[in-house]
Amino acid sequence: MKLSIFRFNPETDEKPYMQDYEIAPVPTDLMLLDVLLRLKAQDDSLTFRKSCREGVCGSDGMNINGRNGLACITPMKGLKYPVELRPLPSFPVIRDLVVDMTQFFKQYHSIKPYLINNDPTPERERLQSPEDREKLNGLYECILCGCCTSQCPSSWWNPDKFVGPAGLLQAYRFIIDSRDQATQERLDDLNDPYRLFRCRSIMNCTEVCPKDLAPSRAIEKIRLMMVKDSL
Amino acid sequence: MMAKPKRRRPVFFNLLQIQMPVGAVTSITHRATGIVLALCIPFGVYLLDLSLRDQQSFAQVARLFDHWTFRIAVVVSVWALAHHSLAGIRHLLSDIDVGSQLPAARRSAWIVNFGGAAVALLAAGVLL
Amino acid sequence: MLFFILFLLVHFLISPPDSYQAWHGWMRNSGISVAASVFFAALLLHAWVGIRDVLMDYVHPPALRVSALALLLFSLLAIAAWVMRILLMGPG
Ligand code: HEM
Ligand code: SF4
Ligand code: SF4
Ligand code: FES
Repeated sequence: MKLSIFRFNPETDEKPYMQDYEIAPVPTDLMLLDVLLRLKAQDDSLTFRKSCREGVCGSDGMNINGRNGLACITPMKGLKYPVELRPLPSFPVIRDLVVDMTQFFKQYHSIKPYLINNDPTPERERLQSPEDREKLNGLYECILCGCCTSQCPSSWWNPDKFVGPAGLLQAYRFIIDSRDQATQERLDDLNDPYRLFRCRSIMNCTEVCPKDLAPSRAIEKIRLMMVKDSL
Repeated sequence: MMAKPKRRRPVFFNLLQIQMPVGAVTSITHRATGIVLALCIPFGVYLLDLSLRDQQSFAQVARLFDHWTFRIAVVVSVWALAHHSLAGIRHLLSDIDVGSQLPAARRSAWIVNFGGAAVALLAAGVLL
Repeated sequence: MLFFILFLLVHFLISPPDSYQAWHGWMRNSGISVAASVFFAALLLHAWVGIRDVLMDYVHPPALRVSALALLLFSLLAIAAWVMRILLMGPG
């Protein structure tokens, strides 16, 4: 098996370069991460993030043959050789496949990703009807891997001003939560030429989300809510 | 305080190495055709002006259509208009929640891309 | 955004009849010139919104952006004036 991997060591390298790796397949190479871990055993300078190895922690987002995804849940079967691995596009590279996600998380925090409810805290939890709970499906599952935002052209051009698909998905998650009381403030905050309206419905985000979520749909629903609001 | 060492942070951003899903192609072409169409406006207005001025200049405009380079330009703008309109309608439909699920969106993106090309071929057939 | 969308729909409804007659628009009749005026108004407004959006995406330095937008506005207004002259002055 041949892989071609983006390498950059800020201490020794002037510029990033692609390094080819050749490794004999073994039966346990189910997912791309399995192969990466074996490569790392061969060459321990190869750097990438990983943790849960089952698509839950969001650490190992990377650009796999041109498309963002999580190495741990990308099956080796079906990948074109040589497998080309690069860091998430448009994010600053710290080393090899490890990127700096500061901007990404700044945008995420900017939408206040927590429940805002000023009622006195009840004895037990804040209750919600099953129908209201249902509305959070397809939203709360986001693991903040950054695959979507890093593949979003609108985020490429305005990463500092456009919240980006991941942040907007979470914004919607709190907007429609029946227990949240800041719905209007949240909508007002996004009603600005940049924070939401840079999205051109390109849908790259939904194409690549490894958790099969649909940020573009959430954005569209926020827009519809704003339209209803203005009527 | 110690001066912060300057860290080098290259960015991987090579559009040729990032895969563009169909929808992205439709979308960027929508933008490109929108700009092309906007650039066509002054020429269109000029031709309109000329064609309405008098008999002679009308004939001049009509003669322009005999020229193959002009016809190619027309075919290109017809394609731009067709693609832009189809993509525009697709966009508006998805704004009102029609066909914005991913599989449907992929299908309609293909339809737009090929529909635009088909209209252009038709125009080419008629004009060339 | 809402107005933008509504206006695009109107634009689209208006545009096919126009493209038919304006090209054969040798004769003028008041209905057509009204339709044509609406069409051009919509067209120019749409071009303004569209290109303004493109500039907002790609042109970041404020001074450059303001000049680009001013240039755009000026060109579109000039085209509008030109179109008005064509449509109102009649043949000759
Ligand atoms: C000659 C006529 C036209 C010109 C010059 C023109 C120009 C433009 C430009 C420059 C843009 C901005 C592109 C972008 O932001 O990516 C745009 C966007 C748009 N156009 Fe047009 N256009 C024309 C006709 C049409 C027609 C017939 C439709 C029919 C539905 C349409 C629908 C749209 C829509 C929906 C957008 C918004 C796209 C978005 O928000 O991303 N356009 N147009
Ligand atoms: S929406 Fe999907 S791609 Fe985006 S950060 Fe969440 S899990 Fe990752
Ligand atoms: S749909 Fe919007 S958020 Fe998603 S990739 Fe496209 S522009 Fe970005
Ligand atoms: S290692 Fe946790 S998501 Fe891949």
